[in-house]
Amino acid sequence: MIATLKLSAAMRNLRIRTLTAQQFWILGLSVLLVLLPFSVRLDGRAHADWLQFLGRFHPSLVHLPIGMLVLLPFLELAGTARQGLREAAGFVLHLALATGFVTLVFGILLAYGSGVMGATVTLHMWGGTVLLIELLACVTVRPAWISRQSRRVYPALLGISLLTLTWTAHQGGSLTHGSDYLTRYMPSPLKEFFPTASAASDAAYLGSVYMRSIHPIFDAKCVACHGANKEQGGLRLDFYDLFIKGGEDGAVVAPRNPDRSLLLQRVTLSPTDKHFMPSEGRTPLTADDIAALRAWILAGASPTATTVPGIAATGEKADVPVQPVGDYSYLMNDIRQMQRSQGTKLVPVSATPSDGLILRTIDAASTFDDTQLARLQRFAPFIVDAELGRTAVTDDCFDTLSKFTNLRALHLEDTGITGRTMGKLSSLSQLTYLNLSGTSVTSDALAPLKGMPNLRHIYLFDTPADPATASPNSAVGSTH
Amino acid sequence: MKQHPLCSDCENLVTPLDLPVPRAVKNEWAAIETRRRFLGRSGKVLGWAALAGLFGEMGLRSNAGEAEVKAPSLERGNNLDLPNFAPKAKRAIYLFMSGGPPQMDLFDYKPNLAAQFNEDMPDSIRGNQQLTGMTAGQAHFPVAPSHWPFGQHGQNGTWVSNLLPYCARMVDDLTIIKTTNTDAINHEPAIMLMNTGNMNAGKPCLGAWLAYGLGGMNDNLPTFIVLQTRTNPKENNQPVSSRLWGSGFLSSEYAGVGLRSGADPVLYLADPAGVDRDVRRKLLDTVEEINRQTLAQVGDPETNSRIAQYEMAFRMQSSVPELIDISKEPPSTWDLYGPEAKEPGTFAYNCLLARRMAERGVRFTQIYKRGWDVHDNAVGMLPILCQETDRGAYALVTDLKRRGLLDDTLVIWAGEFGRTVYSQGGLTQDNYGRDHHPRCFTTWMAGGGVRPGITYGETDEYSYNVVKDPVHVRDFNATILHCLGIDHNRFTYKFQGLDQKLTSPVPASVVQGLLA
Repeated sequence: MIATLKLSAAMRNLRIRTLTAQQFWILGLSVLLVLLPFSVRLDGRAHADWLQFLGRFHPSLVHLPIGMLVLLPFLELAGTARQGLREAAGFVLHLALATGFVTLVFGILLAYGSGVMGATVTLHMWGGTVLLIELLACVTVRPAWISRQSRRVYPALLGISLLTLTWTAHQGGSLTHGSDYLTRYMPSPLKEFFPTASAASDAAYLGSVYMRSIHPIFDAKCVACHGANKEQGGLRLDFYDLFIKGGEDGAVVAPRNPDRSLLLQRVTLSPTDKHFMPSEGRTPLTADDIAALRAWILAGASPTATTVPGIAATGEKADVPVQPVGDYSYLMNDIRQMQRSQGTKLVPVSATPSDGLILRTIDAASTFDDTQLARLQRFAPFIVDAELGRTAVTDDCFDTLSKFTNLRALHLEDTGITGRTMGKLSSLSQLTYLNLSGTSVTSDALAPLKGMPNLRHIYLFDTPADPATASPNSAVGSTH
Repeated sequence: MKQHPLCSDCENLVTPLDLPVPRAVKNEWAAIETRRRFLGRSGKVLGWAALAGLFGEMGLRSNAGEAEVKAPSLERGNNLDLPNFAPKAKRAIYLFMSGGPPQMDLFDYKPNLAAQFNEDMPDSIRGNQQLTGMTAGQAHFPVAPSHWPFGQHGQNGTWVSNLLPYCARMVDDLTIIKTTNTDAINHEPAIMLMNTGNMNAGKPCLGAWLAYGLGGMNDNLPTFIVLQTRTNPKENNQPVSSRLWGSGFLSSEYAGVGLRSGADPVLYLADPAGVDRDVRRKLLDTVEEINRQTLAQVGDPETNSRIAQYEMAFRMQSSVPELIDISKEPPSTWDLYGPEAKEPGTFAYNCLLARRMAERGVRFTQIYKRGWDVHDNAVGMLPILCQETDRGAYALVTDLKRRGLLDDTLVIWAGEFGRTVYSQGGLTQDNYGRDHHPRCFTTWMAGGGVRPGITYGETDEYSYNVVKDPVHVRDFNATILHCLGIDHNRFTYKFQGLDQKLTSPVPASVVQGLLA
């Protein structure tokens, strides 16, 4: 109490003598604060380096006033019981005001110096300004609260300040971490209550290559800084029209000319280059991303084109996420024994056991029949590729094959199958490749396979089956 | 008379201290060459050698510290843990255009050159390049625009010369690389570099590396087969020697097996009259026994290779006749490949064989076509060369595709370098010649692992220098290995104290832009 009195007395002695004079002073400072954002216009252009150097202390400095302000209500509450804490509360409030002012100035230096602009930047700046004005008001009304002249004004003002603080801090967090930082990994029941902002995009272009392959890259890697929130360099990549318009350095794409497109230049620089994008150690674009961008720009960077050479059409590129198979190492002795006795091979796809095994029959193709296949059942879940071309298997093989639950590729070319019982394959959810060339499979036999979502490559060369009536998702005569 | 220091005349023995070097140095030598120092140093050397031996035994030398679980090796005795990752392609077919096809007459479309006919190419384009002896003396480097018009084909509107009407039909399946480049400007070093990753002989070629690393898929056929296309005497045929498919420091089991380009691809394949299979078997068993004795006495691992090769030859006696029996091919084959494919030794015939080998599990097939070395009369020769090769290459890719084999087969089309935009010798209105050009040339790939329908890289307006996205031979080979599931940096063989690899000592990288 004494310290607070002394402090306010000192303040009076220094600058203001009467209450009206203090009010006048606070009012003047508030007007100054309100004018501050207007006096520095954010133009999306970077300014002197030293501004940025100082400004970059803003994100660390900002935690000082935040901590103090969060502490303040607890001090005030505890102060009702312990006098010393109440005095401390007054000191903390003044200190928060002082550090808050420095933080605001540094924040403006950061925004102005780095050339950042955008809706969130503006909101964050105004939040900080309003918070400071509220704190000034708190300082003004607190003596009246202490002397119990007005019991409600100070707590109310303090409450408002804390709300303002929360909101402003959230805007700041969105600037550094991206606006979906909090919501990205939110459990889906919660998500329904928080519609995410990233849904905003050009609905008119739905279904185009731009929406399917290009915009998602921007959304994931660029929009955090080049979006509605930040507009770094005056550039926004969240909407096609804004993207085409470019930033302060002009257009960022030259349609049909990837090499002269600033966008591609900046993402393909050496990661240590000052101009490399995404900057400040954010996740760089993958080679696939860059290849897709290049192909899209080469084809004219159109927002509506639905096919672009080099970018796979819907569903084609997105290979089925490969399901890892279990570790077959414990079966090694059985496999060796089988290989010796049967002459067929089970070959690892790669050095990683979870990539599975290839069933290779070529050395014993003429004698490999349904009985031999049936003997492989215990290895069935590990076989991802069955090379049964030119073997002696018949339609009975589908009984065994339906137990090859992880099968991705099935070669049956030049065998005696007719496909009568081929429907048994429909339980193989991983199957993407089916080669029936040179068999007597008819289009009727193919009908049961129509519902298989992943079966994209069916080969029917030299069969009675008419390719035109094969399942619509098959890639007859065109592989990729 | 002063005696030479290496003279063996012991009476007047000369020590290194008698050499004409400054006294200070001699004093230093004398001070350091003490017995104590010699023994100490020897001890250290022995210690390190022992440690290296221990590390080698414990398998710490290569791939140490890898956490992932290793698939147990089933097929091969050597424990290479290959493929490193699940491959897109199981096998590869390499169409080698020996001599250096001219990129600006086939794929690298430069329409602006027509206006510069017979104008000298600016010196700045050539820079300080050292040219071959064939054109280094030329006073002028007259620009020779391509004699043939180009057309746009496929979904991408890819420019292809009218010389390649069949190739134009399949551009949507091709990955065309305009910026392949090499270090060598003459045939032998360039073709060695392309095939073995090194200009000097003695290194294993791509196919040998694959045979060593991945092994075979069919026990009855070689893992790596080389097919020669019959030469056309009108063409300028550069020699193609077996060291291009040699195994270098790898065991000779991994070398390519060359099939002859005539009607009889393997000589003496049929047993002579009166010798039946059993007699042949007994003969081989006896030879093997003798070979095993030699191996026990001498211990040369090449003896093992020889035993394996005899066995392979025996099995090939039954597998090769089936392989080359094209009489049962359906009519659609001849519609696609053309009647030429019935004639053994033609490029189309070899392409058909390559398809049959792919079906039968040959890991790597390489077809050599010679004659692309068009130093003069390019206008006369190129239509012949294209007519010989265009349809076969198209038929191969298309056939693999319709039979479902292109998904896991990588087809490669490349020469050892490109050709110059300026004319070698006189440039006339209707003819020109082209010299060797290593700085950029066009190649293509198709199938398993590569991105179809794209053109990769850009060259300058003279098709002389790479402007964007260069693909060095080493990067090219690294990419091929990648498609087959091999990390080119981990695939090494210790020889002469080095971890040798196909992509040789200079760092190479997989060209991500080419991958599907």
